[in-house]
Amino acid sequence: MELYRLTATELSRMIRNKEVSSTEVTKSVFSRIKEKENEIEAYVTLNEEGALKKAAEVDEKIARGETLSSLAGIPVGIKDNICTKGLRTTCSSKMLSNFVPPYNATVINKLEEADFVCTGKLNMDEFAMGSSTETSFFKKTKNPFDTTRVPGGSSGGSAAAVASGEAIVALGSDTGGSIRQPASFCGVVGMKPTYGSVSRFGLVAFASSLDQIGPFGRCVEDVAMLTSVICGKDPMDTTSVRREYPRFEDNLSADVKGLRIGIPDVYFGEGVTEEVRQSVMNAAHKYEEMGAVLVPVTLPQPDYALAAYYIIACAEASSNLARFDGVKYGYRSPNYTSLEDLYENTRSEGFGEEVKRRIMLGTYVLSSGYYDAYYKKAKFTQNLMQDMFRKAFTQADVILCPTAPDTAFKFGENSDNQVKMYMNDILTVTVNIVGLPAISIPCGFDSKGMPIGCQLIGGKFSEQLLLNTAFAYEKAVGGFDLSRTLG
Amino acid sequence: MDMDIKRLAKLAKLKFNPEEEEKFAAQMANIVAMVEKLPDLDASGPLIDPDNPMEFRKDEVVQKYRRDELIANAPEVQAGCIVVPKTVAEE
Repeated sequence: MELYRLTATELSRMIRNKEVSSTEVTKSVFSRIKEKENEIEAYVTLNEEGALKKAAEVDEKIARGETLSSLAGIPVGIKDNICTKGLRTTCSSKMLSNFVPPYNATVINKLEEADFVCTGKLNMDEFAMGSSTETSFFKKTKNPFDTTRVPGGSSGGSAAAVASGEAIVALGSDTGGSIRQPASFCGVVGMKPTYGSVSRFGLVAFASSLDQIGPFGRCVEDVAMLTSVICGKDPMDTTSVRREYPRFEDNLSADVKGLRIGIPDVYFGEGVTEEVRQSVMNAAHKYEEMGAVLVPVTLPQPDYALAAYYIIACAEASSNLARFDGVKYGYRSPNYTSLEDLYENTRSEGFGEEVKRRIMLGTYVLSSGYYDAYYKKAKFTQNLMQDMFRKAFTQADVILCPTAPDTAFKFGENSDNQVKMYMNDILTVTVNIVGLPAISIPCGFDSKGMPIGCQLIGGKFSEQLLLNTAFAYEKAVGGFDLSRTLG
Repeated sequence: MDMDIKRLAKLAKLKFNPEEEEKFAAQMANIVAMVEKLPDLDASGPLIDPDNPMEFRKDEVVQKYRRDELIANAPEVQAGCIVVPKTVAEE
């Protein structure tokens, strides 16, 4: 058995029982990368030397009999918008193509304390703006199930690497579905934690009130393990929340008897393909067989949510991305005569088209005369949506719906129609606007053989319940099938 | 829709050539039509977030970066300072 095919949970046990070394596991992952990377193109930057050095350190610690964390020695891929000290962090943009962070994101410090092995930095849509990873300045990551199709986005590199065995687990970030949608497209598990449970310090900001870092894995237990490591209050991020975060993997339970699962009709409606609808409803009925109860719930209209999302996200992005001016770091245009010229040429040459569109939209909705009509109204829509979810969670414990309206599409299929591309996020953005946690789990394949994702949404800080519910399904179906992408 | 692409580009510190401007105007019109689908609600009054009370951090120095680490990413450096074009016009 090739080691890269195993889960973090299995490898963790084997490493600590000295059945295999972290060096052997790391070498297996890098030989897999050599075999698949030309085809998949999941990575922007590889960290082989650093990874092998770290693996050797872990092996020494184990030889000395030290007690290590469950993540020790496990190869983890990191989305390229999470700062890694001394390791280039590009956001898949020309603007940051030469940026080497002088500090670590808080999540990286936490992973380092847990002795993780960093395989490298994973490709993404430029500045996390996109749903297909096609807007990356560097390369187009392929879907491991069908290389003519996109892996989803914006964390497409993370999802593709985990599905193809180029990483055991990975970190991504989710502003409007950027973890869940690629997880769904690539047949893996991905979770967006509650806003505030994971520090955003060192995550290059897209929309600060919506961004959240989260895990990818091939099984629920791996996702639980990675979540436990990254959660927690951080003085460097004032929006992070102080509370007890359990070790989720130690409390996993597959018992869903009596669990009330909310089914929101509107999230199975227009735009959702028949195959996706069927497959997700089959998952719901599986839960019923296990003793859960399905109840109808009313959620915000998806098109309201999408409108509010694009207004809030782009407004915040236009402000956050103002820092890229060619002065202190990143790309600087060689053509300028004045400071104004330097700013404008740097930004016009350094940003890709999608990023420019979103900056322009954000500038528009915040500009004088439009602020009340767009931004303020979107914020009130956000309050309205929060009330609706509060009500829904008095009737249901978790809510179940598709992660995306359709399965992975072909390259270029949506590139010329932004609104059609944005519709990919229609079932995921709501969760970010109300700050809730949600997980995407594989629930079957369509007739083209592409994976379908089922999304479970919970109340604030209900990660344990979400993981348990996901775990119950995984047990019931005998695990998720990645034999085609790991083989 | 009355979107002045030239003015917005100026505000956003971006430059577009005439063809790009035309393309952007058309694309932005579609996107704005999408984001106009907001519910009809009363959007007056203050916006507060009672769920997220902010917590002040103690005003203590906890982490220091060296100057050379911080300017290592700067595009142009002279004598430990970041170089930019002249910002004051000559008389």
